[in-house]
This record gives sequence, structure tokens and C-alpha cells, in this order.
Amino acid sequence: MLLIDLTVNGLIIGLFYALMAIGLSLIFGILRIVNFAHGEFYMIGAYAYTLIALFFGISPWLTLPCAFIAGMALGWATERLLMRPLYSGYASWGVMKDEYAVIITFALSLLLINLVDKVIGPNGYRGPSLVATTRVEIGPFMASGHRLMAAGIALLVLIAVGLFVRYSYWGRQIQAVAQNRLGASLAGIDTAKASSIVFALSGGLAALAGALLSPIINATPDVGAFPAVKSYVIVVLGGMGSIPGAAVASLILGVLESFGAVYISYGYRDTFGLVILILVLLFRPHGLFGERSREV
Amino acid sequence: MSHKAVRSSHRTGLLALAAGVFALANAAFAADPIKIGVTVAQSPPGSVIQGTQVLDALQVAQKIINDAGGVLGRPIELVVEDTQGLPEKARAAVEKLITRDKVVAITGEHQSSNVLAGMEVAHHYHIPYMNVNGWADAIRAKGYIEEFNPGNYSTRTAVAMADTMKLLGAKRVVALAENTDYGIGAAKSLGEQLKIAAPEIKFSYETLDRTAKDFSPVILSLKANPPDAIVEMMLPPAAYLALNQLYEQGVAPTAKTWLYDGSGLADYPDFWQNVQEAAKGMIVFGLYHPKMAMPPLGKQVAAAYTAKTHNEPNRLLAQSADSLFLLAEAIKAAKSTDADAMIKALEAIKWEGTRGVVTFSTEAGYKYHQWIEIPYITFQITAVKQPIADTRLVQDPGQPLDVSKLEKPAK
Repeated sequence: MLLIDLTVNGLIIGLFYALMAIGLSLIFGILRIVNFAHGEFYMIGAYAYTLIALFFGISPWLTLPCAFIAGMALGWATERLLMRPLYSGYASWGVMKDEYAVIITFALSLLLINLVDKVIGPNGYRGPSLVATTRVEIGPFMASGHRLMAAGIALLVLIAVGLFVRYSYWGRQIQAVAQNRLGASLAGIDTAKASSIVFALSGGLAALAGALLSPIINATPDVGAFPAVKSYVIVVLGGMGSIPGAAVASLILGVLESFGAVYISYGYRDTFGLVILILVLLFRPHGLFGERSREV
Repeated sequence: MSHKAVRSSHRTGLLALAAGVFALANAAFAADPIKIGVTVAQSPPGSVIQGTQVLDALQVAQKIINDAGGVLGRPIELVVEDTQGLPEKARAAVEKLITRDKVVAITGEHQSSNVLAGMEVAHHYHIPYMNVNGWADAIRAKGYIEEFNPGNYSTRTAVAMADTMKLLGAKRVVALAENTDYGIGAAKSLGEQLKIAAPEIKFSYETLDRTAKDFSPVILSLKANPPDAIVEMMLPPAAYLALNQLYEQGVAPTAKTWLYDGSGLADYPDFWQNVQEAAKGMIVFGLYHPKMAMPPLGKQVAAAYTAKTHNEPNRLLAQSADSLFLLAEAIKAAKSTDADAMIKALEAIKWEGTRGVVTFSTEAGYKYHQWIEIPYITFQITAVKQPIADTRLVQDPGQPLDVSKLEKPAK
């Protein structure tokens, strides 16, 4: 019974990890930008969902898209106002100043944490559940109705994002930019617009993850630190820019942590992911699903 | 110049002199306050909720003291430093307060790890350090002459918990302790007290990372082999997550397993914002309950606090206010702000504060400079969003726990 519990719990946590990490994977893999404010996109989503639902009495089902839109708006604004100078006037990513991205996103992260701390306050807020059932029993397995619903939504969103990037008009343009920005530009693709879409989508997905998890992990100003760390491990493990890679890596990490915490030690729970990360970097630096090289 | 003119001139001079002396006296009162250093968490990852409660309470006590004319004719000034709940920041904050601000004493700290860090600096500079809410016995065991404790201590809680577990008839007890000096110290202390009070009870504890968000693996292990009681020894926000996850997984509170809050979570202002169904049936170790008998100063402080913050009184209010009052009383008794004189006065003090008559033990170990007979109570939460005043008081201060008043969930 414990084995079933641990496996199902690990897979559910893995789905949440995937939703957190997929946006970072898109930015990291496609735009080659290290976004240190990714966790704060998550935090903004958690607050948007929770506060709108609590203070305006709106159904959480209607608030969920609000959180997604808030995250998209923040992502889009970040790209337009802070990231554009990074590659403005340059056709190749080769001349980008990586340190600029690190500094500016780190500063954005600190700004958002402190802004929320001062404006909303340090108190935690628990988001409203999407379903009223507090406990669902399926055989030996027991979880909250919201946890199961959130996992289901996360799965659907992951599939939708995968299909969007693979088959949609803008998804193909994003892929082209990821493969060769100069080539895509010469082929008439609006690379700046593609970058905006990637950032907005990334922000929206992180915010959606924050909203879905806010009834489980209460919204606090520093709540974004946890998804940010997990996301980096997942992105490297799955392969930079690979959506299926991020999804599989998330599930592996979720199950591994679940079992490791019980059969090895809970104290080392966060270490398992980092050990895997080191092993991957040593023996398969391009990750589980990453490409060996993108140079043309 | 006529006599009349001279007299008038003299009178004017005297008036000017009197006005000058009065102005100087006022200026001295305003310009020469007694500075007390305050270290609290005002930003994450520390418990900002606690930090805010402590600071509000200290300001309430400061106003009461200053409105009554101050101490030795001088007003009390609080110089506040934010620790972020981090020991390294607490250490730096105490250093700054002593060397830069020249404070005569330090108070405010509400996290054990920070007390342990900050008191080292106070000890180095030989400055009185009044611990507001660091429960870890290790603080007292250091035996630092500068450090005093009018708040709760882990052994006190452990004795109360061990007695409760025995009366509940528990055979196996598991504690969920956060990975801090407080959490680990409290769990170890409970283990020791259970060996004395109820050696037949099997006890173990799980150390949980206070920054973690998901405790499912530990909770699932408990679900596979449920104990008779789970004792929670964590602080928010991690404590709230753990309570919710215990409930979601059907581990506690249930017909099989009692849930006991050993951290005094229920009087946090954001408690019901973060924990709902999960708290129904929880037994709480408390240091404050509106139904407790309180001395006049306690009532005055409670009323002033509610007027200032519009919040219900809480345990940190009494502990924090007493901390500042005690420092003021020590200065009064010592007739100076000299550290040795203040420490001597505190060691000899017998003063009625907000919760009762405070005295400090000089016995070595966890009792050192501790108010031993600190009053505590036990209550049970019987409904969601229940105000503390409506919770079921199952143990009055100094009385044994009445198990018959406790209610267990049907499932």
C-alpha cells in the first residue's frame, strides 16, 4: 500500500514540477536566457489566484485564467522592457551579454519579492480549492480533491503546450528561432515577437502552476524559491528546451524524491535531485532529451 | 535706571532662566532616552508574523512606560533591527545595536536559533539580553549571566506534552519537528520527558526542513503505520502546510490519531487563513487564553494592544511586554543602566507582570535565568475558524488536563 501511495504521490508532485519547469525550459532552451525571476512569476500567479478569489468572491474556476493572464502580462512586460536591450540590434545570440540577463532577472526577482512583502504583507494566504471535496479515497490512495484536479489540469496543460509548440504556426516559428535565430530572421520570422511569445507563455505557465498549487503550498512572498530551484534541476535533467524532456525529468524527480525520502532519509530529499543533476552533467551534459549541438 | 525698572528686568531674567531650565529639562528628556535594542524578523524567510506581534507588543509596553514618566526620568527608545529570521543577521544586528547605537540592553528575539546567535554578541560585550520567545533549552544551558528568559522553554512544553500523552493513553507518539534549534531541541526534550513520565510510550521524531513545501513522503509513512498521537513542533508557514497535508492524507486528527500542536500556532493572526478543516480536533499547548485569569497589567496591555492593532491579544504580546517592563524595572532597581547593576537587579527581581509574578532561577542548566513557573494551558479547537475565546479549555494554569473534555473525530 505504501508503494502505491508513494508512486501516485510522486507522479502527482512530478506533474506539478513539470508545470513549474516547462516555462523555464522554453526560455532557457529557446532564448538561452537564464531567468532568475521564474519563481516570482509562480508567486504572482499564486497571489493573483488567491487574492482575487478571496477578496472579490469570484469562483476559483474563473480566477484560474486571471492568474494565467497575470503571469503572461508579467512575462511579456519583462521581455519588452528588460530583455529587449539584451539582443536589440543584434542578429545573433552569440554577442549577447549573459551577465546582463542574470543581473536583470535577479534584480527583478528581489524587486517582486520585496514589493509583494511590503504591499500585500508577509502573511501567507491559502488559495481556494477548485473542488469542495477535502478528501478523496481511491482504494488505499487518499488525497484532497483539489490535488487530484490540479494534477489533471497540469497534465492537460502540458499536453496542450507540447502540441502548441510542435504544430501551431507560432510554435513552429519558436522552434525555428530556437534552432537558428539568424536563419529564422532571414526567413522572415519576427524573432522579437517569437521571444515575446515565449516569455509570455513561460510567465503564464509559471503563474498557472502557482495558482493551482496555492491551496497546497500557501502563497507567501518567498514561495517562488522552491519552484525555481526544482525547475533548474528539471530543465538540465530533461535537456534544455525539450518539453517532453522536462515532463519526463519532472516525473522522475517527483517519484525519486518520494521514495528516497521514505527509504533513505527525508532530510536528504532535496539532495536527490542535485545528485542526479551532477551525474547528468558528468555523463550526459545535454540532458535526457536534449540535443548534442545546435550549431549550424 | 529706576528700582521698578531693575525689578522688572530681574523678573524677566528669572522668567527667562526658568524657561531655559524647563526647556533644557525637556530637551534632556527628549534627547537623552534609554536605548533598548530590538531584534525581530521583519522580512522573510523569518517569521514576520511573530516579528510584527513582538514589535507591536514592545511598542505598547514602551508607551505605557513613557506615559508614566519613563525610567529614572528618561524615556525608553526602541532601536529596531530586522534579522530576517537568520542567525547570521541576528548576530550582526546585535553587534550593530551595541556598537553603533549604544543600547543598554537587547530584547525582541523570538526564534531560538537567532537567540543563540545574538546572545553570543551580547555576552561578548556584557550587555543584558532579554529573550522573548526562544524556547530552546540550549539557550539557558549556556549559562550566560547577561541572558534572561521570561518566555516559555522547551522542557516546560515537553513536560506538559508528556503528561498529556500519558493521560491520552497513547502507546506510540511521533513528533514532526522543524530542522532548527527550536524544533530539534523540543523533540529531544519531549523524548526525555516521556522517558520520565511515561516510559511505556514509544517515541520517535521526524526532522522536516522548515523551507520545504511538500511533506507527503513522511506523512505517507505515518499513514502506513499511524501512531496514537502526532505532535507538531514547527512554525509557520511550514507548519500550516504540514497540518493541511496530514489532514488531506487522513493521518490526523482521526479516530485513531490525536493531533497536538506544541508550537502555539492557533493564536497566529493568519492561522485560519491557512488552515481550515485540518485544525478541527487539534489539541493546543497554549501560553495565553482569554479565559485565563490575568493580573491588572496584563489586562492593561491587552486592551492597549487591541486598541493599537485591532487584533486579539496573544502569547507573544505578554512575553514581549514583560521583557521590556522587566528591563525597565531592572534599571529602576539598579538606579542606572550599568550592565552589572541591571543583571544583579534582574537576578533579585520579584515583580508582577502581565501573567503573574516573575522571578528568575539561578540554578544551572535549562533553568538558568528562567522564569520557571510560567503559566500554560491546554485547549482543543472544536470548529473551523473558531476564535481562541471559543475553544475548549481542557487545562487551566496549574491544573491537570481534563481528558473527559476532549473530543475525538468519528473517523
